[in-house]
Formats: sequence, structure tokens, C-alpha cells
Amino acid sequence: MRNKIQFSFTNKLFLSLLLFSLIVLALLQSYIWNVTEASLYRSLGDKAQIQARELAVIPSLIQYVEQKDTNKISELVSDIFQQSDASYIVIGDAKAYRLFHTANNDIYSPMVGNDNEEVLNGNSSTTISRGSLGLALRGKAPIINKGKVIGIVSVGYMIDDIYALHKKQFIPFIIFCSLLFIALFIFSLCFARAIKKQMFNLEPKEIALLVKSQKSIMESIFEGIIAIDLNYKIININQSARIMLGINVSDEQLLNHDLCDFIKSSDFIYGKDNQLKDIHDQICYFNNINVIANRIRIIVDDNIQGWVITFRNFNDINVLSMQLTQVTQYVDNLRAIRHEHLNWMATLSGLIYMERYEEAQSFIALHSADNQYNLDFITKHFQVPAVCGLLIGKYSKAHEIGLKLVFDPACQLKTLPDMITETEFMSILGNLLDNAFNAALKNPNGNKTIHLYLSDATDEVVIEVSDQGCGVDENMRDSIFEPGVTSQDASEHGIGLHLVSTYVKKANGYITFEDNQPYGTIFSVFIPK
Amino acid sequence: MKENTIKVLIVEDEPILAELNAEFIQRDTKVQVIGIASNLQEAKIMVEKLKPTLILLDNYLPDGKGIDLFEYIINNNLDSYVIFITAASDMDTCSKAIRFGAFDYLIKPVSYQRLKHSLERFELFLYRQSLQKHVNQRRIDELFNLQTKDFVDVNRHSKGIEEITLQKVKDLFLKTDKALTVDDIVANAQISKTTARRYLEYCVQTKLLTVELNHGKIGRPERLYKRLGK
Repeated sequence: MRNKIQFSFTNKLFLSLLLFSLIVLALLQSYIWNVTEASLYRSLGDKAQIQARELAVIPSLIQYVEQKDTNKISELVSDIFQQSDASYIVIGDAKAYRLFHTANNDIYSPMVGNDNEEVLNGNSSTTISRGSLGLALRGKAPIINKGKVIGIVSVGYMIDDIYALHKKQFIPFIIFCSLLFIALFIFSLCFARAIKKQMFNLEPKEIALLVKSQKSIMESIFEGIIAIDLNYKIININQSARIMLGINVSDEQLLNHDLCDFIKSSDFIYGKDNQLKDIHDQICYFNNINVIANRIRIIVDDNIQGWVITFRNFNDINVLSMQLTQVTQYVDNLRAIRHEHLNWMATLSGLIYMERYEEAQSFIALHSADNQYNLDFITKHFQVPAVCGLLIGKYSKAHEIGLKLVFDPACQLKTLPDMITETEFMSILGNLLDNAFNAALKNPNGNKTIHLYLSDATDEVVIEVSDQGCGVDENMRDSIFEPGVTSQDASEHGIGLHLVSTYVKKANGYITFEDNQPYGTIFSVFIPK
Repeated sequence: MKENTIKVLIVEDEPILAELNAEFIQRDTKVQVIGIASNLQEAKIMVEKLKPTLILLDNYLPDGKGIDLFEYIINNNLDSYVIFITAASDMDTCSKAIRFGAFDYLIKPVSYQRLKHSLERFELFLYRQSLQKHVNQRRIDELFNLQTKDFVDVNRHSKGIEEITLQKVKDLFLKTDKALTVDDIVANAQISKTTARRYLEYCVQTKLLTVELNHGKIGRPERLYKRLGK
């Protein structure tokens, strides 16, 4: 295991910004140092040379050098040296032997530095070389009398002095750089903090993980998910939505598409009036697919930025809820049946023990006769096996919950109308019966009987379900077939009647409802054959 | 064994009940019980070996459900008819048996009278089938009707139509040329709304009345009945 010190992204950003500005400042400093040094040398070199040349043309100096009068030279040059900022001045003869030195070194010793050749040839020069006092910058000029070089003037600045001067000049710049560095430090710190805030205090790795996990979450959801902006352009879409809507363009192309390229007119999405609120569990059609959909606003800083639409194929949900309700039903059924059986057995054994065989026989007959009669009735009158199955199921369900389902003697069904599928027909019949059951349970005064009249004797299939239940509330009557409208508990969806009316309309039929006497409701469905 | 004997296999896991059933149905001289299977595995073997004409099939068996054997028989084209027996609480399986085309469906506890009735009907069914050398459509219809349980006496009263009430309803329409609603009938003939619909639809069926649709309030159509012709 490696124990590396882990810096957070923003710390890394801060440190690297700091390091970068440090390097830039250092480079800048060294560049400026070099440039100013070079110009200092050049200007001092020029200055030394000019001084040397000025000295070399003084007539009295020429004369004294000609005569090699060292005292006079010393007198003259010392005065001039007082006025100069040069480190030293040396006067030499034509063979580069000293005639004068401000530091009063040995006279008539050779001039040190090996840079006199050029001057003795009659040219002035600027050089850096080591003299008797140390390394120095020297300006040299020849002393010329009647066209002949008779001596040398050398004006020198000690390198150490120049360096000290340079350093003195450079201090303000260093102070400036330090201030700049502090400013950059503060800037980096603020910048890193701002970035941190923008990234919700997350590390880039965490963000990447978040994005990836979000993507896989999107893909693992069976619901179709589409995010759109205010212009109905697709921002994001998951695989389920693509499959359900049959979209097979790539992600890059998708971003240029409007949603209406894939989902044709749908009030649920494009309707203007309900854009300002969220919509839950709405049943609608996307193209030709019956879906149950939600539309949730995306709100950033109190403004709507778009919507997220999630939807599921409605048939899937139907299957699921059917399975769920069956499971709970079975559990309840079993308990009731067991209890019932024990009672039967007790009664029977009592009757047999008392040798009342006739009664025992009729007791047995009584309990199966009712069911047998209904079974025979159903199979005789309804020739569609699926409808038989449904009615058998509903009959026993009614029995279990203490209701009675009565079939009208005129019931008959040979075939289903062409315009309707078996599933749709079952949905209509099942929902009407379930609603009647629920309504009957809610009214303690009603007689708990549900009548079913189902006939295809005429040109129409007529379904009439009547109950003695709670009836339809007056202010619900106009909206009873709209989704979400229910007189039952909030746990119910209120989609049963909406489905019924949708399927009936699809089959060119119609549905009516009216009050039953003395309580309850009669729902009638008429579907042409 | 006589040629026209009906060979019956009883599939029932309760031995006493199975024997009682066997004893009961053998009172009929044309019926011969050829075996009693007490579980699904046994039943399968016996169906293939003994080739029964009829199976009394109980749904609850120790190693599976009778309905599975039924499915097996159909899938393997075995030439056996099935009388399916199940508890009242298991109506769902019963509806499946209807889809598979069971000859009859009996609810436990089985009334011997009902079982006797079912057997008699089966004998009649076989008899007519055996008579049938030249199959024609009328015969097929007859056979089909027999299988769809026309043992309950078929007359018009079984449809719940009584002459007196029917006449009352008819009279209402004869008095007027106007179209009437169910409510009008209920108010004038003193019958319940559910009964009224039955009579009205019956009149439509017998071409006495015709139906009109009045789109009154939006989304709340009204069904009007009117005398056909004049």
C-alpha cells in the first residue's frame, strides 16, 4: 500500500497556480537582473571610456607624459579623480608602464590586465579584466602627441562596486515582485475557492463517478426518461425511452433534435396551459403507445429551465397491479376458507354422529349447489372462455367480500365485437364490476347485490352493471371518466373508469350511468358489433 | 368388456372418496371404472396405458394439479374426455378448464345427482357421436350444443321474460310514437331499472323496438327506445 499524501483538487490547483507564478516571477527577475546588469555595464563602460578619452586630450597631461614628469601627472590627475566616481585612474607610458596610479601602487611597473595592445595601436577600448586591485571594468584611451601614441589613460570601475550598485538599484524591483507574488497568492486562493464552490465541493473524480453512476442509473431504470429544455429540445434520454419510442439516432445527433421529431402532438407534453405545474400519473398516448407518464419541472434559481418526462408502458403496469392484487387476495381467501371448512366438518360430523344422514346429504348439496348452479349458468350463457373465467373469478370474489353477484337471466354472449380485443373487453367488464363491488361495500343501507346484464342478442353488446352502493357524487359527475377522479380512498388511482371509457370509445361504443333505486348507480355500456 | 362401455379413470387422492365415487358411477351399467389414480404421476401412466374414455379429474393432488394433467392430455392428443372437479374456492382453475374444453366442471363437494346428470349427458353425447357416420353441419351443431350444457330446460322463461310484464312494456310503446327512456318505462310499468333493460333489449332483439342515441349533455349520451316502423 502506498501512503501518498492526497491533495484535494482545489489544493492542487492552488499550489500549482502558486508554483507557476513563482517560476514566472523568478524568470522575470533573472531576466530583468541580466538586462539591467548589461545596461549598467555598458553605460559604465562608456562612461569610463569617455573619461579616459577626455583625460587623454588634456594638453598639459600630454606634455607631462612626454616629459614623464610623474609628480606633475599625479598632481593633475589626482585633482580630476576627486571629481570622478571611477574606482581608479591609471596613466601609462607608450610601453604600458605605469606613470601614475590613484592607489599609489608601484610606478614604472607594467600595467596589469593584458588589454593594452589595442590602445597602443591608437584605439580606445572597454574591457573587463583583472588588474592589480582586482576585477574591474576599464575604459582605455591612447595619449597621442603629433600622431604618435605616447601613453595610456585607463579609467576603471571595480566589479564589486558595480555589483553593489546594481544590487542597490534592484531592491525596489524585488519589493515590487514580492507584492505581485502576494497578489497572485491571494488570487490563486480565491480562484481555487470559487472553483470548489462551483463544483459543489466535489473532487473531479467524484464528479466523474457521479456522472457515470447517474448514467448507469438512468439506463437501469425501466421507465423511459427524457429531459427537455424550454424549446422542447432533448437534453437527456435513457435507453428505455429510446426503445419504447423507437429512437435510433446517436447521442450527438439527438441533441439537435426537437422532441416533436419523435413524439408527435401530445397535449401532455406540448400543452400550454399546464406547463407551470408538475403532472403525475397521467395516462396518455405517445404516438400509438399507451403510457402512464409524469412531467416534472426542472427549476434552477426559481426559474423553470425545462421538464423531465418519465413514462411507462401502461400495459406493463396493468399486469403488475393485477399480480399484486391477486397475491393479497389469495392470503385473505385462504384464511376465510380454512375457517369455513372447519365449520363444515364440525357440522357434518355432528350430523353423521346423530345419524341424521338425510340432513347431512342436503347440507353437502347446499354448499356446492350454489356454486355449481352459477358455474353451469356462466358456461351455458357465455361462450367466450375468457369472459367465463373473469365472471367466475368475480363471482367468487363477490362471495368472499360478502356481496352477491347476480346474473340477469337474459345474459348471453356468443362472440366479442370485432372492434374490441379480448383484453379490452375484460378490462371494461372487470373494472365496472370492481367499481360496483367497492361502491356496494361503502353503503351500509344497500342490499349488497350487484346485478350484471350482459347480452349480445341485438346489434350491440350491452353491459349493464348495477349496484346498491354509495352512488356518484354530484360534483364528480361531469369528470367521472377523467383520469385521477375517484370516489374511493386516495390509494386508488382513479383510472378504472377512464380506461373503460377509453376502450369503449375506441370500439365506437358509448357509456352511460344513472342512479339506481333506491341507492347506487347503474353503468351501461353499448358496443356495436 | 362390452363395446359400448364407457371406460372411466378416477383421479382422486382421498381413497375413501375415490372408492365412493367409483361405486356410485358403476351403478350405471354402461360405466366401467378401469382405474383409480391417487396422484399425478400415476394418473399420467394410467391415461396412456388404459386409454380411458372419460376421466373424473380432481384438481388437488399431492404432486401437482389436475389441470396440468388436463393440459398434458390435450398436448399429447390423448383421446380422453375430462370432467373436471374442483373446490369452490378454486374458481380460477375452473376458468382455465373451461378454456381447455372440459366436458363438464363440478364443484366439490360433488352432488351425486349432478354427477349422475353429467354422466347421462356424456352417454348421450357418445351415443350421438357413434351414430354419426355422415357428419353434417346440423349434427355438428347438435353435438356442440350438447357440450355447451343445454341440459337446463330451454324455454323463453329461462331468459327471464314474463308475458305479463312484456305486454306492459309493449303497451307503453303502442300508446305512443315517441321515443322512451328506461326511466319512462320504470315509472309506468312498475319494474326495476335492471329488469327494464332486459325487457327493452328483448324487444330490440325481437325487432319490436329500435334504439336511438340522444347526445344530450356532453359526454352523457341517452339511450332512447322507439317503436320500429310506424
